[in-house]
Amino acid sequence: MGALLEVKDFHYYYGNIHVVKGIDLKVEKGEIVTLIGANGAGKTTTLRSISGLTPGAGVRGRILYKGTPIQKLHGNKILRMGLAQVLEGRHIFSKLSVYENLMMGAYTRKDKAGIQEDVKKVYALFPRLEERKEQLGGTLSGGEQQMLAIARAMLSKTELMLLDEPSLGLAPIVIREIFEAIKKIREEGTTILFVEQNSRIALNTADRGYVMQTGEITMEDTCASLLQNEEVKKAYLGGV
Amino acid sequence: MLFQIIVSGLVIGSIYGLIALGYSLIYKSSGLMSFVQGDMLTFGAFLGYTFYGVMGIPFILSFAMVILLMFALGFAIEKGVIHRLVAKNVLPIYTVLATIAISYIIQNGSMVLFGSDIKYFPPVTSIKGIRVLSLNVQTEAALCIAASVVFMILFNFFMNRTPLGTAMRAATMDPMAARACGIDVGLTTGLSWAIASGIAGFAGMLIGPVYGVYTTLGSVIGTKGFSSAVVGGYGNMLGAIVGGVLLGLTETFLSAYVSSAHKDIIAYFILLLFLFVKPTGIFNERAIAD
Repeated sequence: MGALLEVKDFHYYYGNIHVVKGIDLKVEKGEIVTLIGANGAGKTTTLRSISGLTPGAGVRGRILYKGTPIQKLHGNKILRMGLAQVLEGRHIFSKLSVYENLMMGAYTRKDKAGIQEDVKKVYALFPRLEERKEQLGGTLSGGEQQMLAIARAMLSKTELMLLDEPSLGLAPIVIREIFEAIKKIREEGTTILFVEQNSRIALNTADRGYVMQTGEITMEDTCASLLQNEEVKKAYLGGV
Repeated sequence: MLFQIIVSGLVIGSIYGLIALGYSLIYKSSGLMSFVQGDMLTFGAFLGYTFYGVMGIPFILSFAMVILLMFALGFAIEKGVIHRLVAKNVLPIYTVLATIAISYIIQNGSMVLFGSDIKYFPPVTSIKGIRVLSLNVQTEAALCIAASVVFMILFNFFMNRTPLGTAMRAATMDPMAARACGIDVGLTTGLSWAIASGIAGFAGMLIGPVYGVYTTLGSVIGTKGFSSAVVGGYGNMLGAIVGGVLLGLTETFLSAYVSSAHKDIIAYFILLLFLFVKPTGIFNERAIAD
């Protein structure tokens, strides 16, 4: 069997604007892979297209998940196949309680017992969510909202989790906590692909990385090598 | 006397509240003001009159048929017109205009189909009135209040305690996140319009037997339902009901104790003042900024 996720010669057009210009990307089962790059490089568009959340009319090329082409599928179907996304900016439901937010993550599932089992799992991973389960999502701190967003995605029985800028707007200590959680989620068997502008923490968390620049992938390697790469150091790690 | 006033205030107030609920639902799901609600009520009442008064179908069955038909009509309007316009990225005001167009089509269509004279429902039951606290209440009025209360309890349960209702609320809060959770936002939006339209039919079936049915029945109720929604906090479900009951009681008390010829002048003067004192509505909905 091939890779869990394979993106082949993928392009994306917003009307006449060519946002993603033919990229290839692969995620093997059990890996943590990161996609780094500056603002506007096309990272979010790529991630949302994989999940079927962008208007499908702009997609060219192939996206294979478990060997099945999914580039034409509706987001609902892709989610049911075990591919969930944690959106940039967290996007929690601010006027639903923490518990209701989690239930929305499990919206496509029917196995009540399994859902409650998974709720226990996410509470074990993020004890603060259990303490605040009755609270409205909008009253949580930024870090707690990010935890909730990740937990919500976990509840859809995810096998491949995509995360868009999990560090966005969070304090350094909270960022470390979030990335520790991401590693734990992988240990429990979920494969991870995430987009990040904080390249240092991204490359220190992931196994492999892709560097994206104005719609193209310019480098790909193990994170250990990327961290040593002079170009990467200069452009993305602040020159140290 | 006082008791009778309260009863009529509650009858018309619960109808305003139901219509207001429809406005709030549509606003929450599509961010739009819809002018269809009032004429949907008229159309529902005419349908009910046809089933019950003309065809002689039992009242409960006619009631259910009206709600189902109106539900389907609301869904069709959203999918056939509103959704298509929104997909074209037109300014929201054009979509609002579309609702005005639909409202006139329904109003005029009702006149062509059912005629322009007042239609009276045959009595809903053979019981002329029931006694509440040793006072007589017209059966239709009691039915109207009771059915509204039961509906609001069920509706509240549906929206807050069922996965589909919660998903509908989630989709209105953040459509993108809802899609990421696998919620079919197109379906939940259509459902919001369908429910709003079903509620209008429901209200029409309640008010028809009390007031009689005529083509402009809904246009006044529609405007007042809209006012109720604003007073309660536009977009807030509980506020819609409270606003409706408040407006209904205010009107009835004014016409009983002050002057029925001037009740709307005074009631709407109060409404204007209210807008200055509490522009967010009773339940503090950040309606415009939301």
